[in-house]
Amino acid sequence: MQPSAEDVAREITRLQHNYQFLSYGLIVAWLILVVYVLMMVSRENKLKREIASLRAMLEDRK
Amino acid sequence: MRDKILFIIGAIAIFILARDIYMVAGLPEEANQGAIFKIIFFHVPMAMTALTCSLVAFVSSVAFLITRRFYFDALAVAVTEVGLAFLAGNLITGSIWGRIIWGIWWTWDARLTSALVCWLLYAGYLMLRRAIEEPTQRATFAAVFSIFAFIDVPIVIFSIKWWRTQHPQPVFWGGGSFPPDWAAIFWLNVLAVLLVGIVFTAVRLRQEEAQREIDSLRRMAHAL
Repeated sequence: MQPSAEDVAREITRLQHNYQFLSYGLIVAWLILVVYVLMMVSRENKLKREIASLRAMLEDRK
Repeated sequence: MRDKILFIIGAIAIFILARDIYMVAGLPEEANQGAIFKIIFFHVPMAMTALTCSLVAFVSSVAFLITRRFYFDALAVAVTEVGLAFLAGNLITGSIWGRIIWGIWWTWDARLTSALVCWLLYAGYLMLRRAIEEPTQRATFAAVFSIFAFIDVPIVIFSIKWWRTQHPQPVFWGGGSFPPDWAAIFWLNVLAVLLVGIVFTAVRLRQEEAQREIDSLRRMAHAL
């Protein structure tokens, strides 16, 4: 039995929807990694600045 | 040297992950679920990494309470934060899968609920740490809380066996199977995500060491 044009159109929409959500999933997975890396980089810079300023302050006091 | 090793491990992990996206895209669709099934290649490795992080946090917390060495406290907080990021990824990718397969973003099923509770417990662990100023007290309370939070991890893992859940049974210990080429990509992805977790933990651990240095410099500044 041949599938009707409606069935074909429905199947195409389902497939597109499936791929669209799969891409959302992959984007989210990568985005979380990227955001976490950016958070760590900003924290690293903050810590370095804090250590440098504390060391400078200690040098001044000595 | 340590930085170089971390960079190499990170580069290998990113290469494997990028390659696997290409490989996964080339795989045929799963018969019942279609393309969305392929999300399993990222959803499950993220869960495995997150729960491995919980195990390491548990062991480190016990080790801290026994030895009182602050290295274990730093390791526990580093690995908990990394695990939390991966568990968030796992929950979100699972929710996207659920939207297609179940038609809903979320359901209060035993697996989903216990995983969300796990995320909330470990987020609470990080908030608890911020609330306590004194380092020894902070490390002790946090270690006890982390051991308590770990109770939820076996519940997350075995919930699908203990209760009738909407979440599917696992592929590898639930009677299902993967074609060999799918399994190879899957386990490579597990390895890659674990490697990313190791790199993140190592970087985060170094930051905890830097924070301890700041604490000691502050004490010196007060003493002067």
